Amino acid sequence: MKSTRYLVAVPAALALALAGCGGSTGTSGAGGDTGSDTGSGDTAGYSTDDSNCADEEVFCIGLVTDTGNVDDKSFNQSAHEGAEAAATELEGVYKYIETQDAKDYAANMAQFTDNSYDAIVTVGFLMTEATVAAAEENPETKFIGVDQGYPEGTELTNLTGLIFPEDQAGYAAGFLAGLMTETDKLGQVLGQEIPPVQKFAKGFENGAKAANDAVSVQTVYHPAGDNAFNDPVWGAGEARKQLAQDVDVVFGAGGNTGNGALQEVAKADGAGESVYCIGVDTDQWDTVPQAQPCLITSAMKLITKGVTDTLMTAESGEFEGVQTVGEAGIAPYHDFEDTIPDDVKSQVEEIVAQLQDGSLETGVTL
Amino acid sequence: MERLSTWASKNRTPLVIAAAVLVAAYAFNLVRGDIAPSMFGAAWGYAIPLVLAALVGVIGERSGVVNIGIEGQMLLAAFAGFFVAAVSGSMIVGVLAGIGTGLVAGGFLAVTAVRWRMDQIIAGVVLNIIATGLTSFYLVSGQSLPGVIPNVSVPLLSQIPLLGEVFFSGRSVIALIAILAAVLVHLALFHSRWGLRTRAVGEYPSAADTAGIKVERLRMVNVTLAGSLAGLAGVYLSMDASSTFEREMTAGRGFLALAIMIMGAWRPLRAFSMALFFGFVNATASQLQQTGGFSIPPQLTATLPYVATLVVLAVAAGRVRPPGAVGQPYVKKDQ
Repeated sequence: MKSTRYLVAVPAALALALAGCGGSTGTSGAGGDTGSDTGSGDTAGYSTDDSNCADEEVFCIGLVTDTGNVDDKSFNQSAHEGAEAAATELEGVYKYIETQDAKDYAANMAQFTDNSYDAIVTVGFLMTEATVAAAEENPETKFIGVDQGYPEGTELTNLTGLIFPEDQAGYAAGFLAGLMTETDKLGQVLGQEIPPVQKFAKGFENGAKAANDAVSVQTVYHPAGDNAFNDPVWGAGEARKQLAQDVDVVFGAGGNTGNGALQEVAKADGAGESVYCIGVDTDQWDTVPQAQPCLITSAMKLITKGVTDTLMTAESGEFEGVQTVGEAGIAPYHDFEDTIPDDVKSQVEEIVAQLQDGSLETGVTL
Repeated sequence: MERLSTWASKNRTPLVIAAAVLVAAYAFNLVRGDIAPSMFGAAWGYAIPLVLAALVGVIGERSGVVNIGIEGQMLLAAFAGFFVAAVSGSMIVGVLAGIGTGLVAGGFLAVTAVRWRMDQIIAGVVLNIIATGLTSFYLVSGQSLPGVIPNVSVPLLSQIPLLGEVFFSGRSVIALIAILAAVLVHLALFHSRWGLRTRAVGEYPSAADTAGIKVERLRMVNVTLAGSLAGLAGVYLSMDASSTFEREMTAGRGFLALAIMIMGAWRPLRAFSMALFFGFVNATASQLQQTGGFSIPPQLTATLPYVATLVVLAVAAGRVRPPGAVGQPYVKKDQ
């Protein structure tokens, strides 16, 4: 009798806790009007005066962040810098809105479309649906969705999703790891087993094996679904286990779960001397400073360059398609510039160049 | 000597199981010395917060109070510990703040569920919602801890092969406290006056009341003090096992601890073993995924912990009985 209480209570409590979190993120009210900060960059090169955006001559760029700020040292900041560069280059107008609540995506985009902006950049895959809907409603405005893959059958000429070859980023990082390892054992601590993560992981493995065919790669994905990218404790535990099994380079790819792994490696004995870690997506030297003791590089999506290039395309004519494929590479070595031997650096550089010009295939199939 | 043999004959089944597990563990270590210690280490690392949290549940329920808010207590403590340490620049201040927050959260549950006689399940759920809300709302990124909680290794004990390596070295003092806490709560619960009173209050409060025990006061004290263990579990998550605070980073560990408490039949040492078992199943699941070799799809190995839980619960079903008065606020009949 009593124990049946748990059968009801535990799931009910879970459900309520989850519901509770849905209602309590970010500021309340109309974030689009009141709760959002509208950017005003007074830096030279572009204007923030959007009163004459309806004018054919003036190219106006608006950027809507995913819930986060343009100085988040991650996706939002990279996209923001790309848009700034494009606006400077085109001598156009640029403004951004920092979204406070996921419910405000549409309202924030509407602030730009109402003002006859020419191009709108939306950041992050969470905005995918909102971006497609806005693009359908505003055929005159060009939309660029960073890291957004659209479903088959999306046929809009004013919309492109900027995606990145994760497998290439993983391949380059894996190649470096394969050259750096002393024990010939590499580890990967990953988030959920979904296509972008798998592409990073398989690219890493192929790259490592291309560099060093004696290498073995230990791969582990987070088993649970909804918190797979937000479990740093699990990530740290797995990294610790891999290190104990002689792994000396750990690739942490999976949001906060992967970051947990990086931080654990940074705390380990010999961090930065005999054991190293590699980050993902953006240059994690900036996003996870705690990982700096071991972080030799990050498998990086070149978001800034991709956004700038795509905005230039938007200004001059038509998008190349519903998806635009950007470039991938690896982040700077920072303090490990001297640790990594010159011949390793030049080999990795060559690999990155070959990947980017298409002469080298990663061999990743999902 | 005689006492020892009566004790042994009274606890024959657990002793036989423990011996079998130990033999199996050393045998595994002999066969796969390359991975065994790290797997046991991973199991223990996974189990540490579960042990602490399960003890919170055991103390609460043994006193007759369901604590479904352990998840929230841990989350609040993880938050407070991390940010107080980051802002104050002192790890010890952060740890104390985390434990203090656990106490306050325990006190909240005590006041609502015991003093105000609110439905205990709802009080716990309220605690969880408040914890998720507050910690998500006040979360700021870009903070980092001023240091790490140093690892300690216990003299002599850490020399024991395998066991010493897993339990008594290479971990922080929180891990040692978890072991000590399980033993102490066991001794206190079954071999002390406080324990007898607590169990009486949880089984049959009106009889305890007749015998002159202040039911409400004992429940409030127990639930509040148990909060410090939840606080320590939270501190472990954000300051020791990882060095960061993320939204909902407890990731269901508070609820898992309740399941472990039930699997452990509301007994501290059994809950301790169950947490270890759970940790080991998890370590096995990831090891299978990691080494590959077996042609088992990862989706299947990922279900291993859940399958194991089902099996254990099925075996234990019907044999475990919760404390008699759990979930019922105590109201004096003749008032």
